[in-house]
Amino acid sequence: MELFNSESKKIISDPINVNNPISLQVLGICSALAVTIRLDQAIIMTLAVIFVLCSSNVILSLIRNYIPNRVRIVIMLSVIASLVSVVDELLKAYLYDMSKQLSVFVGLIITNCIIMGRAEAFALKNGPSKAFLDGIGNGFGYGLIIIIVSFFRELFGAGTITLPDGGAGYVLWRIPESWYAAGYENVGLLVLSPGAFIILGLVIWVQREMAGVEEDA
Amino acid sequence: MHSNNYTLGFVFIVTIILGSMLSFTKDSIKDLQEENLKADVQKTILRSLNFDENLLLSNELIEQTFKSYIDAKCVNIEGEVVECAIEEIDIEKNVDVLPIYIRKDNNEIKGIALPVAGKGLWSTIFGYIALNPDTESVLGIQFYKHGETPGLGGEVEKKWFTDNFINHPLKDASGSISYVPKKIRNTSGKIVSIKVVKGGVDYSDTNMESIHQVDGISGATVTADGVTDFLLEDLLRYEKTLDKIRDYGTI
Repeated sequence: MELFNSESKKIISDPINVNNPISLQVLGICSALAVTIRLDQAIIMTLAVIFVLCSSNVILSLIRNYIPNRVRIVIMLSVIASLVSVVDELLKAYLYDMSKQLSVFVGLIITNCIIMGRAEAFALKNGPSKAFLDGIGNGFGYGLIIIIVSFFRELFGAGTITLPDGGAGYVLWRIPESWYAAGYENVGLLVLSPGAFIILGLVIWVQREMAGVEEDA
Repeated sequence: MHSNNYTLGFVFIVTIILGSMLSFTKDSIKDLQEENLKADVQKTILRSLNFDENLLLSNELIEQTFKSYIDAKCVNIEGEVVECAIEEIDIEKNVDVLPIYIRKDNNEIKGIALPVAGKGLWSTIFGYIALNPDTESVLGIQFYKHGETPGLGGEVEKKWFTDNFINHPLKDASGSISYVPKKIRNTSGKIVSIKVVKGGVDYSDTNMESIHQVDGISGATVTADGVTDFLLEDLLRYEKTLDKIRDYGTI
Protein backbone atom coordinates (compact mmCIF):
# COMPACT_ATOMS: atom_id res chain seq x y z
CA MET A 1 0.00 0.00 0.00
CA GLU A 2 1.30 3.41 -0.90
CA LEU A 3 1.46 5.49 2.25
CA PHE A 4 0.21 8.76 0.91
CA ASN A 5 -2.40 7.89 -1.66
CA SER A 6 -5.72 9.68 -1.59
CA GLU A 7 -7.28 7.17 0.78
CA SER A 8 -4.56 7.65 3.40
CA LYS A 9 -4.86 11.41 3.07
CA LYS A 10 -8.55 11.10 3.68
CA ILE A 11 -7.97 8.99 6.79
CA ILE A 12 -5.80 11.77 8.21
CA SER A 13 -7.67 14.84 7.02
CA ASP A 14 -11.26 13.74 7.71
CA PRO A 15 -10.99 13.67 11.50
CA ILE A 16 -9.18 16.99 11.48
CA ASN A 17 -11.88 18.62 9.44
CA VAL A 18 -15.25 17.18 8.38
CA ASN A 19 -15.37 14.37 10.93
CA ASN A 20 -13.61 16.00 13.88
CA PRO A 21 -13.91 13.86 17.02
CA ILE A 22 -14.68 16.83 19.26
CA SER A 23 -16.59 19.27 17.14
CA LEU A 24 -18.55 16.81 14.98
CA GLN A 25 -18.76 13.61 16.99
CA VAL A 26 -18.68 15.46 20.31
CA LEU A 27 -16.38 12.88 21.95
CA GLY A 28 -13.62 13.57 24.49
CA ILE A 29 -15.44 16.62 25.81
CA CYS A 30 -14.53 15.98 29.45
CA SER A 31 -10.81 16.49 28.96
CA ALA A 32 -11.42 19.23 26.40
CA LEU A 33 -13.09 21.22 29.16
CA ALA A 34 -10.69 20.26 31.94
CA VAL A 35 -7.23 20.77 30.50
CA THR A 36 -7.84 23.87 28.41
CA ILE A 37 -7.13 26.45 31.09
CA ARG A 38 -3.60 26.90 29.82
CA LEU A 39 -2.08 26.40 26.39
CA ASP A 40 0.91 24.38 27.64
CA GLN A 41 -1.38 21.90 29.39
CA ALA A 42 -3.41 21.45 26.22
CA ILE A 43 -0.28 20.86 24.14
CA ILE A 44 1.10 18.19 26.49
CA MET A 45 -2.34 16.59 26.73
CA THR A 46 -2.55 16.51 22.92
CA LEU A 47 0.82 14.78 22.68
CA ALA A 48 -0.22 12.25 25.31
CA VAL A 49 -3.48 11.52 23.51
CA ILE A 50 -1.76 11.20 20.13
CA PHE A 51 0.73 8.75 21.61
CA VAL A 52 -1.93 6.62 23.29
CA LEU A 53 -4.26 6.75 20.30
CA CYS A 54 -1.63 5.76 17.73
CA SER A 55 -0.11 3.02 19.87
CA SER A 56 -3.42 1.50 20.91
CA ASN A 57 -4.69 1.62 17.32
CA VAL A 58 -1.57 -0.09 15.99
CA ILE A 59 -1.38 -2.72 18.75
CA LEU A 60 -5.05 -3.61 18.53
CA SER A 61 -4.94 -3.65 14.75
CA LEU A 62 -1.98 -6.06 14.82
CA ILE A 63 -3.79 -8.52 17.05
CA ARG A 64 -7.28 -7.88 15.66
CA ASN A 65 -7.59 -11.29 14.02
CA TYR A 66 -6.70 -13.12 17.23
CA ILE A 67 -8.86 -11.23 19.73
CA PRO A 68 -11.81 -13.38 20.84
CA ASN A 69 -14.89 -11.36 20.09
CA ARG A 70 -16.45 -11.97 23.50
CA VAL A 71 -13.63 -10.27 25.38
CA ARG A 72 -12.63 -7.62 22.87
CA ILE A 73 -13.79 -4.68 25.02
CA VAL A 74 -11.76 -5.97 27.96
CA ILE A 75 -8.68 -6.43 25.78
CA MET A 76 -9.07 -2.96 24.30
CA LEU A 77 -9.42 -1.42 27.73
CA SER A 78 -6.37 -3.22 29.12
CA VAL A 79 -4.19 -2.14 26.21
CA ILE A 80 -5.39 1.47 26.48
CA ALA A 81 -5.10 1.55 30.27
CA SER A 82 -1.54 0.17 30.15
CA LEU A 83 -0.48 2.76 27.59
CA VAL A 84 -2.01 5.57 29.61
CA SER A 85 -0.21 4.35 32.74
CA VAL A 86 3.06 4.39 30.81
CA VAL A 87 2.42 7.99 29.72
CA ASP A 88 1.54 8.95 33.28
CA GLU A 89 4.74 7.42 34.64
CA LEU A 90 6.85 9.07 31.92
CA LEU A 91 5.37 12.48 32.71
CA LYS A 92 6.14 11.98 36.41
CA ALA A 93 9.75 11.22 35.51
CA TYR A 94 10.44 13.82 32.84
CA LEU A 95 7.81 16.57 33.20
CA TYR A 96 7.01 16.52 36.89
CA ASP A 97 5.43 19.97 37.17
CA MET A 98 3.24 19.30 34.18
CA SER A 99 2.12 15.96 35.56
CA LYS A 100 1.12 17.69 38.79
CA GLN A 101 -0.93 20.24 36.91
CA LEU A 102 -2.65 17.70 34.69
CA SER A 103 -3.21 15.53 37.79
CA VAL A 104 -6.02 13.03 37.25
CA PHE A 105 -6.70 14.06 33.69
CA VAL A 106 -3.81 12.04 32.30
CA GLY A 107 -5.27 8.94 33.93
CA LEU A 108 -8.65 9.88 32.56
CA ILE A 109 -7.36 9.50 28.99
CA ILE A 110 -8.41 5.88 29.54
CA THR A 111 -12.03 6.96 29.56
CA ASN A 112 -11.64 9.34 26.62
CA CYS A 113 -14.29 8.06 24.21
CA ILE A 114 -12.16 8.98 21.20
CA ILE A 115 -9.62 6.28 21.98
CA MET A 116 -12.07 3.47 22.71
CA GLY A 117 -14.21 4.65 19.81
CA ARG A 118 -11.39 4.56 17.27
CA ALA A 119 -10.25 1.16 18.52
CA GLU A 120 -13.71 -0.33 18.08
CA ALA A 121 -14.71 1.50 14.91
CA PHE A 122 -11.43 1.50 13.02
CA ALA A 123 -8.48 -0.40 14.44
CA LEU A 124 -10.31 -3.72 14.72
CA LYS A 125 -11.33 -3.53 11.06
CA ASN A 126 -8.19 -2.20 9.36
CA GLY A 127 -4.47 -2.92 9.01
CA PRO A 128 -1.83 -1.37 11.29
CA SER A 129 -0.60 1.32 8.91
CA LYS A 130 -4.09 2.63 8.27
CA ALA A 131 -4.87 2.39 11.97
CA PHE A 132 -1.74 4.44 12.71
CA LEU A 133 -2.82 7.15 10.26
CA ASP A 134 -6.29 7.12 11.79
CA GLY A 135 -4.68 7.66 15.21
CA ILE A 136 -2.63 10.59 13.88
CA GLY A 137 -5.68 12.14 12.24
CA ASN A 138 -7.96 11.84 15.24
CA GLY A 139 -5.21 12.88 17.64
CA PHE A 140 -4.55 16.06 15.69
CA GLY A 141 -8.28 16.64 15.27
CA TYR A 142 -8.64 16.48 19.05
CA GLY A 143 -5.53 18.57 19.62
CA LEU A 144 -6.51 21.25 17.14
CA ILE A 145 -9.73 21.97 18.98
CA ILE A 146 -8.36 21.92 22.54
CA ILE A 147 -5.37 24.03 21.54
CA ILE A 148 -7.66 26.64 20.01
CA VAL A 149 -9.94 26.58 23.06
CA SER A 150 -7.04 26.80 25.52
CA PHE A 151 -5.40 29.62 23.53
CA PHE A 152 -8.48 31.80 23.90
CA ARG A 153 -9.17 30.76 27.49
CA GLU A 154 -5.64 31.54 28.62
CA LEU A 155 -5.26 34.73 26.60
CA PHE A 156 -8.52 36.33 27.68
CA GLY A 157 -8.90 34.57 31.03
CA ALA A 158 -5.41 34.85 32.50
CA GLY A 159 -3.76 37.30 30.08
CA THR A 160 -0.83 35.06 29.18
CA ILE A 161 0.28 32.59 26.54
CA THR A 162 2.31 29.74 28.00
CA LEU A 163 4.30 27.15 26.09
CA PRO A 164 5.43 23.89 27.67
CA ASP A 165 9.01 23.58 28.91
CA GLY A 166 10.72 21.28 31.38
CA GLY A 167 9.27 23.04 34.39
CA ALA A 168 6.26 25.16 35.15
CA GLY A 169 5.84 26.50 31.61
CA TYR A 170 7.48 29.24 29.57
CA VAL A 171 5.44 32.42 29.32
CA LEU A 172 5.68 33.45 25.68
CA TRP A 173 3.63 36.60 25.95
CA ARG A 174 1.81 38.44 28.67
CA ILE A 175 -0.66 41.28 28.37
CA PRO A 176 1.38 44.41 29.23
CA GLU A 177 0.70 46.21 32.50
CA SER A 178 -0.13 49.38 30.57
CA TRP A 179 -3.25 47.70 29.18
CA TYR A 180 -4.49 46.93 32.66
CA ALA A 181 -3.69 50.47 33.68
CA ALA A 182 -5.78 51.67 30.76
CA GLY A 183 -8.78 49.72 32.07
CA TYR A 184 -8.44 46.32 30.40
CA GLU A 185 -9.53 43.39 32.54
CA ASN A 186 -9.17 39.64 32.28
CA VAL A 187 -12.40 37.72 31.81
CA GLY A 188 -12.46 35.59 34.96
CA LEU A 189 -15.35 33.51 33.64
CA LEU A 190 -13.12 31.94 31.00
CA VAL A 191 -10.88 30.36 33.62
CA LEU A 192 -13.88 28.57 35.10
CA SER A 193 -15.61 25.58 33.53
CA PRO A 194 -18.59 27.54 32.12
CA GLY A 195 -16.08 29.60 30.15
CA ALA A 196 -14.77 26.40 28.60
CA PHE A 197 -18.29 25.44 27.52
CA ILE A 198 -18.85 28.82 25.91
CA ILE A 199 -15.55 28.86 24.00
CA LEU A 200 -15.94 25.23 22.99
CA GLY A 201 -19.46 25.93 21.74
CA LEU A 202 -18.22 28.83 19.62
CA VAL A 203 -15.34 26.76 18.24
CA ILE A 204 -17.71 23.91 17.35
CA TRP A 205 -20.00 26.36 15.57
CA VAL A 206 -17.20 27.95 13.57
CA GLN A 207 -15.63 24.60 12.76
CA ARG A 208 -18.91 23.07 11.55
CA GLU A 209 -19.63 26.17 9.50
CA MET A 210 -16.18 25.96 7.86
CA ALA A 211 -16.45 22.23 7.23
CA GLY A 212 -19.89 22.78 5.74
CA VAL A 213 -21.58 20.19 7.93
CA GLU A 214 -25.35 20.14 8.15
CA GLU A 215 -27.01 18.48 11.10
CA ASP A 216 -29.64 15.91 10.05
CA ALA A 217 -33.06 17.12 11.05
CA MET B 1 -16.57 -18.25 17.98
CA HIS B 2 -13.37 -19.10 19.83
CA SER B 3 -13.30 -21.83 22.46
CA ASN B 4 -13.28 -20.97 26.14
CA ASN B 5 -9.75 -22.25 26.51
CA TYR B 6 -8.53 -20.05 23.68
CA THR B 7 -10.23 -17.02 25.18
CA LEU B 8 -8.80 -17.63 28.63
CA GLY B 9 -5.35 -18.30 27.21
CA PHE B 10 -5.46 -15.15 25.12
CA VAL B 11 -6.48 -12.97 28.05
CA PHE B 12 -3.76 -14.56 30.16
CA ILE B 13 -1.03 -13.86 27.61
CA VAL B 14 -2.17 -10.27 27.05
CA THR B 15 -2.16 -9.69 30.80
CA ILE B 16 1.37 -11.04 31.14
CA ILE B 17 2.68 -8.91 28.28
CA LEU B 18 1.01 -5.69 29.41
CA GLY B 19 1.98 -6.31 33.01
CA SER B 20 5.64 -6.78 32.21
CA MET B 21 5.61 -3.74 29.94
CA LEU B 22 4.29 -1.62 32.80
CA SER B 23 6.70 -2.93 35.40
CA PHE B 24 9.61 -2.56 33.01
CA THR B 25 8.72 1.09 32.36
CA LYS B 26 8.20 1.84 36.02
CA ASP B 27 11.41 0.14 36.99
CA SER B 28 13.57 1.94 34.46
CA ILE B 29 12.41 5.45 35.45
CA LYS B 30 11.85 4.96 39.17
CA ASP B 31 15.04 6.79 40.17
CA LEU B 32 14.10 9.87 38.17
CA GLN B 33 10.64 9.93 39.69
CA GLU B 34 12.02 9.64 43.20
CA GLU B 35 14.43 12.49 42.54
CA ASN B 36 11.53 14.64 41.35
CA LEU B 37 9.50 13.74 44.41
CA LYS B 38 12.37 14.61 46.74
CA ALA B 39 12.96 17.92 44.99
CA ASP B 40 9.25 18.65 45.15
CA VAL B 41 9.18 18.17 48.92
CA GLN B 42 12.25 20.38 49.32
CA LYS B 43 10.66 22.96 47.05
CA THR B 44 7.54 22.94 49.21
CA ILE B 45 9.60 23.52 52.34
CA LEU B 46 11.56 26.35 50.70
CA ARG B 47 8.40 27.95 49.31
CA SER B 48 6.71 27.87 52.70
CA LEU B 49 9.81 29.59 54.11
CA ASN B 50 9.32 32.35 51.59
CA PHE B 51 12.37 31.76 49.41
CA ASP B 52 12.66 33.62 46.12
CA GLU B 53 11.23 31.65 43.17
CA ASN B 54 14.49 32.22 41.26
CA LEU B 55 16.23 29.90 43.71
CA LEU B 56 13.75 27.12 42.94
CA LEU B 57 13.97 26.86 39.17
CA SER B 58 15.56 23.43 38.76
CA ASN B 59 16.06 20.30 40.84
CA GLU B 60 19.78 21.07 41.20
CA LEU B 61 19.15 24.63 42.30
CA ILE B 62 16.56 23.49 44.83
CA GLU B 63 18.94 20.98 46.35
CA GLN B 64 21.71 23.55 46.55
CA THR B 65 19.47 26.18 48.17
CA PHE B 66 18.17 23.59 50.60
CA LYS B 67 21.67 22.53 51.59
CA SER B 68 23.00 26.02 52.14
CA TYR B 69 20.10 27.60 54.04
CA ILE B 70 18.15 24.85 55.78
CA ASP B 71 19.04 23.28 59.09
CA ALA B 72 17.05 20.04 59.20
CA LYS B 73 16.65 18.46 62.62
CA CYS B 74 14.36 16.17 64.57
CA VAL B 75 12.80 16.86 67.91
CA ASN B 76 10.61 14.82 70.20
CA ILE B 77 7.38 15.86 71.80
CA GLU B 78 9.26 17.30 74.79
CA GLY B 79 11.15 19.67 72.50
CA GLU B 80 14.49 17.86 72.76
CA VAL B 81 16.65 17.38 69.67
CA VAL B 82 16.96 13.69 68.75
CA GLU B 83 18.88 11.68 66.17
CA CYS B 84 16.92 10.62 63.11
CA ALA B 85 17.01 9.79 59.41
CA ILE B 86 14.93 12.78 58.45
CA GLU B 87 14.11 11.69 54.91
CA GLU B 88 12.67 8.36 55.97
CA ILE B 89 10.17 9.67 58.49
CA ASP B 90 6.56 8.89 57.68
CA ILE B 91 4.98 12.25 58.42
CA GLU B 92 1.44 10.95 58.60
CA LYS B 93 1.94 8.08 61.03
CA ASN B 94 4.94 9.16 63.01
CA VAL B 95 4.24 10.92 66.32
CA ASP B 96 7.45 10.47 68.31
CA VAL B 97 10.20 11.87 66.12
CA LEU B 98 9.23 15.19 64.61
CA PRO B 99 11.15 16.78 61.73
CA ILE B 100 11.76 20.50 61.83
CA TYR B 101 13.36 22.67 59.13
CA ILE B 102 14.96 25.90 60.22
CA ARG B 103 15.89 28.63 57.78
CA LYS B 104 19.11 30.27 58.86
CA ASP B 105 20.71 33.30 57.23
CA ASN B 106 24.09 34.03 58.85
CA ASN B 107 23.22 31.81 61.82
CA GLU B 108 20.12 33.79 62.59
CA ILE B 109 16.77 31.97 62.55
CA LYS B 110 14.56 33.40 59.82
CA GLY B 111 11.79 30.85 59.84
CA ILE B 112 10.71 27.42 61.01
CA ALA B 113 8.95 24.94 58.70
CA LEU B 114 6.95 22.06 60.15
CA PRO B 115 5.39 19.19 58.25
CA VAL B 116 1.62 18.86 58.50
CA ALA B 117 -0.48 16.03 57.16
CA GLY B 118 -3.94 14.63 57.61
CA LYS B 119 -7.11 13.42 56.00
CA GLY B 120 -9.10 15.63 53.67
CA LEU B 121 -12.13 14.18 51.90
CA TRP B 122 -10.61 11.51 49.66
CA SER B 123 -6.99 11.47 50.62
CA THR B 124 -4.24 12.46 52.96
CA ILE B 125 -3.04 16.00 52.36
CA PHE B 126 0.66 16.70 52.90
CA GLY B 127 2.19 20.10 53.38
CA TYR B 128 4.44 22.41 55.36
CA ILE B 129 3.57 25.37 57.51
CA ALA B 130 6.30 27.89 58.20
CA LEU B 131 6.34 30.25 61.15
CA ASN B 132 8.31 33.42 61.77
CA PRO B 133 10.99 33.28 64.52
CA ASP B 134 8.40 34.71 66.96
CA THR B 135 6.77 31.22 66.55
CA GLU B 136 3.44 32.98 66.40
CA SER B 137 2.81 34.48 62.98
CA VAL B 138 2.66 32.43 59.79
CA LEU B 139 5.45 32.87 57.26
CA GLY B 140 3.86 30.62 54.67
CA ILE B 141 2.00 27.40 54.06
CA GLN B 142 2.26 25.02 51.11
CA PHE B 143 0.63 21.73 50.23
CA TYR B 144 2.38 19.39 47.84
CA LYS B 145 0.54 16.09 47.77
CA HIS B 146 -3.13 15.30 47.93
CA GLY B 147 -5.86 13.48 46.03
CA GLU B 148 -8.66 15.98 46.51
CA THR B 149 -11.04 16.88 43.69
CA PRO B 150 -9.42 19.34 41.29
CA GLY B 151 -11.27 22.65 41.42
CA LEU B 152 -12.84 21.90 44.82
CA GLY B 153 -10.71 20.42 47.63
CA GLY B 154 -7.73 20.51 45.25
CA GLU B 155 -7.73 24.28 45.61
CA VAL B 156 -5.84 23.93 48.93
CA GLU B 157 -2.59 23.93 46.99
CA LYS B 158 -3.48 27.10 45.06
CA LYS B 159 -1.91 30.44 45.80
CA TRP B 160 -5.19 32.21 46.56
CA PHE B 161 -5.84 29.77 49.40
CA THR B 162 -2.35 29.64 50.87
CA ASP B 163 -2.09 33.44 50.62
CA ASN B 164 -5.02 33.66 53.05
CA PHE B 165 -2.63 32.57 55.79
CA ILE B 166 -0.31 35.52 55.37
CA ASN B 167 -2.80 38.26 54.52
CA HIS B 168 -4.86 39.31 57.47
CA PRO B 169 -6.39 42.74 56.87
CA LEU B 170 -5.77 44.97 59.87
CA LYS B 171 -7.54 48.28 60.20
CA ASP B 172 -5.77 51.00 62.12
CA ALA B 173 -7.42 53.96 63.82
CA SER B 174 -7.47 56.03 60.65
CA GLY B 175 -9.29 53.25 58.79
CA SER B 176 -6.52 52.33 56.37
CA ILE B 177 -5.87 48.62 55.93
CA SER B 178 -2.52 46.90 56.23
CA TYR B 179 -1.89 43.18 55.83
CA VAL B 180 -0.30 41.07 58.55
CA PRO B 181 0.17 37.29 58.79
CA LYS B 182 -2.35 35.11 60.61
CA LYS B 183 -1.34 33.94 64.09
CA ILE B 184 -1.30 30.45 65.58
CA ARG B 185 -1.03 31.64 69.20
CA ASN B 186 -3.69 33.56 71.06
CA THR B 187 -2.93 36.61 73.16
CA SER B 188 -1.93 34.50 76.18
CA GLY B 189 0.59 32.58 74.06
CA LYS B 190 -1.35 29.33 73.81
CA ILE B 191 -1.31 27.52 70.46
CA VAL B 192 -4.80 27.70 68.96
CA SER B 193 -3.75 27.01 65.36
CA ILE B 194 -5.72 28.38 62.42
CA LYS B 195 -9.26 27.47 61.49
CA VAL B 196 -10.51 27.22 57.93
CA VAL B 197 -13.95 28.80 58.14
CA LYS B 198 -16.87 27.81 55.96
CA GLY B 199 -18.25 30.71 53.95
CA GLY B 200 -15.49 33.14 54.78
CA VAL B 201 -13.98 34.95 57.71
CA ASP B 202 -16.11 37.52 59.52
CA TYR B 203 -13.84 40.57 59.67
CA SER B 204 -16.15 42.73 61.77
CA ASP B 205 -14.82 44.08 65.06
CA THR B 206 -16.96 41.69 67.09
CA ASN B 207 -15.07 38.62 65.82
CA MET B 208 -11.99 38.51 68.01
CA GLU B 209 -10.89 35.22 66.47
CA SER B 210 -10.47 36.44 62.89
CA ILE B 211 -6.66 36.54 63.20
CA HIS B 212 -6.83 32.76 63.72
CA GLN B 213 -9.20 32.14 60.81
CA VAL B 214 -8.93 31.86 57.02
CA ASP B 215 -11.52 31.68 54.25
CA GLY B 216 -12.74 28.22 53.29
CA ILE B 217 -13.24 26.78 49.82
CA SER B 218 -16.71 26.61 48.29
CA GLY B 219 -17.76 23.01 47.80
CA ALA B 220 -14.93 21.63 49.90
CA THR B 221 -16.11 21.81 53.50
CA VAL B 222 -14.81 18.35 54.41
CA THR B 223 -11.36 19.13 53.00
CA ALA B 224 -11.31 22.43 54.89
CA ASP B 225 -12.37 20.78 58.16
CA GLY B 226 -9.60 18.24 57.64
CA VAL B 227 -7.04 21.01 57.22
CA THR B 228 -8.30 22.70 60.40
CA ASP B 229 -8.04 19.44 62.36
CA PHE B 230 -4.58 18.37 61.28
CA LEU B 231 -3.09 21.85 61.57
CA LEU B 232 -4.07 22.00 65.23
CA GLU B 233 -3.06 18.42 65.95
CA ASP B 234 0.34 18.76 64.29
CA LEU B 235 1.15 22.19 65.72
CA LEU B 236 0.39 20.98 69.25
CA ARG B 237 3.01 18.26 68.86
CA TYR B 238 5.60 20.99 68.38
CA GLU B 239 4.32 23.09 71.27
CA LYS B 240 7.31 22.58 73.55
CA THR B 241 9.78 23.01 70.70
CA LEU B 242 8.13 26.23 69.60
CA ASP B 243 8.03 27.54 73.18
CA LYS B 244 11.75 26.87 73.42
CA ILE B 245 12.52 28.75 70.22
CA ARG B 246 10.38 31.66 71.36
CA ASP B 247 11.98 31.86 74.79
CA TYR B 248 15.60 31.03 74.00
CA GLY B 249 15.87 31.65 70.26
CA THR B 250 17.28 28.18 69.64
CA ILE B 251 16.50 24.50 70.22
